[in-house]
Amino acid sequence: MKHPPFAAPLLLVSALLLPGSAARAQECLDCHSQPGSSVSFKGGSSKDVTVDPKAWAESVHGSAGLSCTDCHAGHESYPHPEVKADSERDYTLNHYTTCEQCHDEQFKKQLDGVHMKVIASGNKKAAVCSDCHNPHVQKKITGEGGKLLPEGRLAVPRTCARCHAAIQAEYRQSVHGEALVDGNPDVPTCIDCHGVHNIPDPRTAEFRLQSPRICADCHTDRRKMAKYKLSTQVLRTYVADFHGSTVTLFQRRHPDQVTNKPVCYDCHGVHNIAGKNDPRKSLLVKANLLATCRKCHPDATENFPDSWLSHYIPTRDRAPAVYWARLAYQILIPSVVGGMVLFVASDFVRRQVDRRRRRLDHVEHV
Amino acid sequence: MSSPDRLAPPPPVYDRFTRSDRIQHLVMIASFLLLALTGLPQKFIYANNRYLDDLIDAMGGLEMVRVLHRWAATALMLVTVYHLLAVAHRVLVRRVSLSMLPRYQDVLDGLQAVRYNLGLAKERPRTDRYTWEEKVEYWSLVWGTVVMIATGFMLWNPVATARFMPGQWIPAAQVIHGGEALLAILAVLVWHFYSVHLRHFNRAMFTGLMTEEEMGHEHPLELERIKAGAAHPPQDPAALARRRKIFLPVSGVIALLLLAGIYWFVTFEQTAIATVPPPR
Repeated sequence: MKHPPFAAPLLLVSALLLPGSAARAQECLDCHSQPGSSVSFKGGSSKDVTVDPKAWAESVHGSAGLSCTDCHAGHESYPHPEVKADSERDYTLNHYTTCEQCHDEQFKKQLDGVHMKVIASGNKKAAVCSDCHNPHVQKKITGEGGKLLPEGRLAVPRTCARCHAAIQAEYRQSVHGEALVDGNPDVPTCIDCHGVHNIPDPRTAEFRLQSPRICADCHTDRRKMAKYKLSTQVLRTYVADFHGSTVTLFQRRHPDQVTNKPVCYDCHGVHNIAGKNDPRKSLLVKANLLATCRKCHPDATENFPDSWLSHYIPTRDRAPAVYWARLAYQILIPSVVGGMVLFVASDFVRRQVDRRRRRLDHVEHV
Repeated sequence: MSSPDRLAPPPPVYDRFTRSDRIQHLVMIASFLLLALTGLPQKFIYANNRYLDDLIDAMGGLEMVRVLHRWAATALMLVTVYHLLAVAHRVLVRRVSLSMLPRYQDVLDGLQAVRYNLGLAKERPRTDRYTWEEKVEYWSLVWGTVVMIATGFMLWNPVATARFMPGQWIPAAQVIHGGEALLAILAVLVWHFYSVHLRHFNRAMFTGLMTEEEMGHEHPLELERIKAGAAHPPQDPAALARRRKIFLPVSGVIALLLLAGIYWFVTFEQTAIATVPPPR
């Protein structure tokens, strides 16, 4: 390990002058705020180990008075113990478990997340705690009741973009992403759909089958949708249709069933969801809708998209053929079957009466 | 025919349905039942009913249920084609009377039956070979089959349908298909089960025969005609053979055309059934 020559005396002075854990952080910063300190790993790479004292002091951990050794256990004395990790990444993967000491709930959750599964399958690049929440600079992002603060919400896509940059670029152009930048508190960020810490793998059949519920969380919320004049019938009308009923049945009976029936995002897009007024993508534009149908029905022609009622409930004006057909059978079934029941009942009673009369006649004649 | 020595006592049983009729009925039962079992739980998926979901799984899952529904529909279409030809043979070759056609008398019979049940008429209607109740049932079945085949085609081949019809007719067809199915099933449960099972178990559709007592109750006019020897007027064998000679090739060609039509129906388009493979 390389270190400045004045390290040892500085450490000694700090230890004598400053009390408590803040004191110990100051002790560490005496060296680690100086540029030029670095650590070498066994694999040959090295890392700069400078900590910005101002950023640390403003961070949630620094302002709470945590000491460096609360996380970096074993570094109380100098010289520090030998670094055994092969690389910076190995060091992170060996040490991120320290977060569990304080963040037990989040730590346990992330063990079930997709990132941990990817790491377990051998890809060390997947995120652990400190990749999203750099402990030396992480500011407080939650307010009362653990609710994300507005700054925290804005930061979410940026955080995910450290690895998922292309997806974030798509999201930024989407109706949700554009509004988020404007400070809209209603639109979803990454974690509203994907969850946080115990993020499920979005590539599975399970995720696909239950995804309509994610969208429905907001899109069936009357208060939220009223602001944007959006229909809250989207889930109901989807489930009532052939595609939606298939997906719904699989979801409740065989959650891992693979199906080619579309879910919300197959038609509306995943991260690049456009607003209804976007002329290039809005499914209210017939050409866009036809192109969408053709993804699965390549032979579809001009009339075909009308076979999907576009989440509308049929009325006299919209899809009148469906409206009148429904009304006709709502009248036809009870009147025909009701008439049959009445006749059958009258016939049954009359035959009982006849039989009884015949029996009485028989008795009288004996 | 009327000389005294030929007046033997009437036979105890009467022919009612031929073997061909009875086989058609059995195929009809099988396909109708399978169509109902595979169709109803699909219609009511949105109702989130555990037992209907169980039924779907018991039959091999939703995709299998859809395949079974189509097989049963194919069987129904085949028996429909057979029935058309059998009726044509009866009418054109054997020249039997068109006893299943609805007449004004059937309306009067129905009204009289209602009035009798209410105590407003002294007698039940005296019915012929097919009672007004049987005609209601038969023609409901004909109507229902036409509706189900037409709307079924649209649902089976939606992309092709949209080429020559407005798109919204397809969801309308779905509504009609489901509504007509429910109507048919309820009508069978109420009308058919009451009139041939509950009121009196009528075995004629399985044995082909009816006793004299049953005939007297249900088809008194036909019984009278049989007894008078007027039910089956004698036919000229030569004319019969001549008509048969024309009928066989013509009906053969028509049968082939209809079968080709069914083949066309069930293989018309692939995208609604196979579509694209599921997303990764």
